[in-house]
Amino acid sequence: MITDDRWTERIRDPKAECMSRDERAALQGEKLRDLVKRVYGVVPFYTEKMKALGLEPGDIKGIEDIGKLPFTTKEDLRENYPFGFLAVPNEKIARVQGTSGTTGKLTVMAYTQKDVDVWGECVARCLTMAGLTAEDRIHVCYGYGLFTGGMGLDFGAQKLGAMAIPMSAGNTKRQLMCMEDFGATAFACTPSYAMHLAEAMAEAGVVDHMKIKAGVCGAEPWTVEMRKKIEEIMKINCFDIYGLCEITGPGVAMDCIHHEGLHVHADHFYPEVLDVSTHEPVGEGETGELVFTTLSKEAVPLIRYRTKDLTSINYETCKCGRTTPRISKFKGRTDDMKVIRGVNVFPTQVETALLGIGEVIPHYLLIIDRENNMDVLTVMVEVDEKFFSDEIRKLDALRNKIGSVLREALGLSVRVKLVEPKTIERSEGKAKRVIDNRNLV
Amino acid sequence: MKQISVFVENRPGSLMEVTSRLTEAEVNIRAVASFDTPEFGILRMVVDDPQKAKQELTRLGFVVRIYEVMGVELQDEKGNLNHMLSILADGQINVNYIYSFVIREQKAPVMVFSTDDMEKAKEILTKAGVKIVTDEEL
Repeated sequence: MITDDRWTERIRDPKAECMSRDERAALQGEKLRDLVKRVYGVVPFYTEKMKALGLEPGDIKGIEDIGKLPFTTKEDLRENYPFGFLAVPNEKIARVQGTSGTTGKLTVMAYTQKDVDVWGECVARCLTMAGLTAEDRIHVCYGYGLFTGGMGLDFGAQKLGAMAIPMSAGNTKRQLMCMEDFGATAFACTPSYAMHLAEAMAEAGVVDHMKIKAGVCGAEPWTVEMRKKIEEIMKINCFDIYGLCEITGPGVAMDCIHHEGLHVHADHFYPEVLDVSTHEPVGEGETGELVFTTLSKEAVPLIRYRTKDLTSINYETCKCGRTTPRISKFKGRTDDMKVIRGVNVFPTQVETALLGIGEVIPHYLLIIDRENNMDVLTVMVEVDEKFFSDEIRKLDALRNKIGSVLREALGLSVRVKLVEPKTIERSEGKAKRVIDNRNLV
Repeated sequence: MKQISVFVENRPGSLMEVTSRLTEAEVNIRAVASFDTPEFGILRMVVDDPQKAKQELTRLGFVVRIYEVMGVELQDEKGNLNHMLSILADGQINVNYIYSFVIREQKAPVMVFSTDDMEKAKEILTKAGVKIVTDEEL
């Protein structure tokens, strides 16, 4: 591990990452004008929304006009599933990626080759921020597939010219063996998996066999203490990478060695932090909902996409030299979504899945714990007369069935606990659906 | 014969909660058996008023079901349980579970068992001269 006073900062694109605030605003304004022109008359959703607001592309003159534009929500994306938001002809689409582990329809995002290039470039900036260069070997244990984690880090490694080791998740023993044998110098995965790797490494006594110097972790919330623990065990530096599939994937933002907020690549993704009720911008440093506009994206440009993540923003120049705005570690959500082992979980998904088992939704409660640094989801289900059987094996079968239905719906293994009726606490007539014991905020 | 089955969690006091509610409702428990897994169990009981027991427990938030089970009287002699079970085995009757009455005021002991084939079990046992006990005789 290198302390920040001995750290040599590398900046991949000083022009983009260190430009003055005015220069950046001018660039963002220019890109926003172009973006509005690209969607107006092409994407029905935005055309209708803008018409309803009496807006024409010419009304957007600079970035200061962004507040005039309509919002986009996850529900809007679902209603236009899968390709209703496309702003380019089919032949320009290079690939799709999607959200992981949700019931019913996925959130699917299309990319042109240029979108993939921009994405890779942003991840490459992050990898550089983590001190990595073309000489490094990056062990990626994010899942490869529709989920943006694996591919995103891979695209970044490619842009950087580094060697990517596409491991995907799971099989810790094999991960450690490859890490050691291939001489990996960095890894990327969820923080909880990083913690697991760290402990497995310590247990196997192989920490000193490794050449790892940096960990790039994200896709779920984690604490500063957890980062320090991983850093201490593996003797490395860890960084918090952020992104979401709707906006591009990992690489939208990352913290630098000083860990004073996550640098947003604001030449491509314009961040706003808005008051939760008025939707007006909050003051610098105040908490609000993070909203992104994709300034460069071609295939599916999104205007003012509401992430529902709560954060604050800081426009001061960082000690690392970057002028990019920094968002704080998330302070919660505006909805009841939980991130469990990197998977987004809404209590309503559990409800829908349980509905598939009986005609009536039983009372249920999600309990999220962190055991040995891995998230564990327990779902308590009240047994009612409809579900109850006199035979243990039938009750066991019921429990297993609920487990498999939930695993399928959430993309996450779940512990199911059958409990007596009325043991799940109701508050004001409405049942409490989630207890998160992880203390991540 | 009727039996009530109650879903209980495997935690201290959960069985007592059921029995104390029945006591309050003045329902007498004739036989009791519990079957458990590490997390939950089923408490099975033969009571003098199954309908009342179900009504009371349901009102208090328990999940209760009434099931039909077979009660047979055994002479209190060596090998009698084995004898009864061999009759059932010979008749290809599958016994899901079996338990016995706790107290029966000087009367012969009664075994309670559950099977999916009540009619056939009844027929075979009657033919073999085993006395079947009804709710009324308790």
